[in-house]
Amino acid sequence: MEDQDILLKFADPASRNVAFNQLVRKYQTKVYWHVRKMVIDHDDADDLTQDVFVKVWKHLESFRKDASLYTWIYRIATNECLNFLSSKRRKFFLPLNDVAAELTAKVEADPALAGDDIELKLQKAILTLPDKQRLVFNLRYYDEMPYEQMSEVTGTSVGALKASYHHAAKKIEHYITQSD
Amino acid sequence: MKTPFRLDDHPRRPQPLASPPDGYFDQLPMRVMQRVQPAPATGRRPVPEWLAALSAPLRTALAASVVLGGFAASFLLNQPGPLPATSSAAGTLATVPRTELVEYLLASEQRVTLSDLAELPTTEQALPEAYLRASPAEVQDLLDIQPTEDLYL
Repeated sequence: MEDQDILLKFADPASRNVAFNQLVRKYQTKVYWHVRKMVIDHDDADDLTQDVFVKVWKHLESFRKDASLYTWIYRIATNECLNFLSSKRRKFFLPLNDVAAELTAKVEADPALAGDDIELKLQKAILTLPDKQRLVFNLRYYDEMPYEQMSEVTGTSVGALKASYHHAAKKIEHYITQSD
Repeated sequence: MKTPFRLDDHPRRPQPLASPPDGYFDQLPMRVMQRVQPAPATGRRPVPEWLAALSAPLRTALAASVVLGGFAASFLLNQPGPLPATSSAAGTLATVPRTELVEYLLASEQRVTLSDLAELPTTEQALPEAYLRASPAEVQDLLDIQPTEDLYL
């Protein structure tokens, strides 16, 4: 179902639930993996993915359509991730490195990375990046999102995003080269 | 020499981490729908609208204030009333005829001892200091000159 059809059906109370169910089914995989790559842990990603869709439900009526629905949902998911990580630091008085160490420990325990040394190093290298730069890297490297769309999601200029991705890639390459 | 790692040469895994449990994406829409649907009405008493409008920290602060206020009110209401002024008590006592006082003491077999007098400073703070500081000899002298002595000894 096209986004436009989903929005039209959502506007009608009689078909609202059906439309929203379609919306969740359409975007759940992308939102989940976007969140999961930021918070690493499945349970945290599950909670946050649900929170994202609850927010989408609450605010979909006021969605102004000046961005695509996909971009708008990504923006909500991105904000949820960044808020989650910063509140985690505030809640436990953890410095930046301790949260990175916690996420690194989860990556090391991930069965999908067992036996793939280079991929494990890549994931650990990504976790050394600041949250926002990690977000930019994930959107570009894994989701292959165009810079213009990334700009709408993050509220950052295309030039700044290009520079951020370039620096992130260099840091990651340096980290993996040094750890060999 | 270390071989430089290049991201472009590395095969990209779109989902590098372990997949979620089987059936996760089949159940997720239903779980989201459960969260966005209004909860069915239960037998619970509804929360007043003004209370529901407050944020959780505000509601907690309000509850704490009510409990502390209750404690404070209970403490204040249980305070003993002001003690009657000693001067008025002494004035009342002065109006009682001396013979009646002696009769009362005899009838109730009360005796004023030195230890009773020694306790006075702690109970009757407003009594004249000159009296409270009386030595045992002075107290005895005062008792000796009482005209009632012969009546009860």
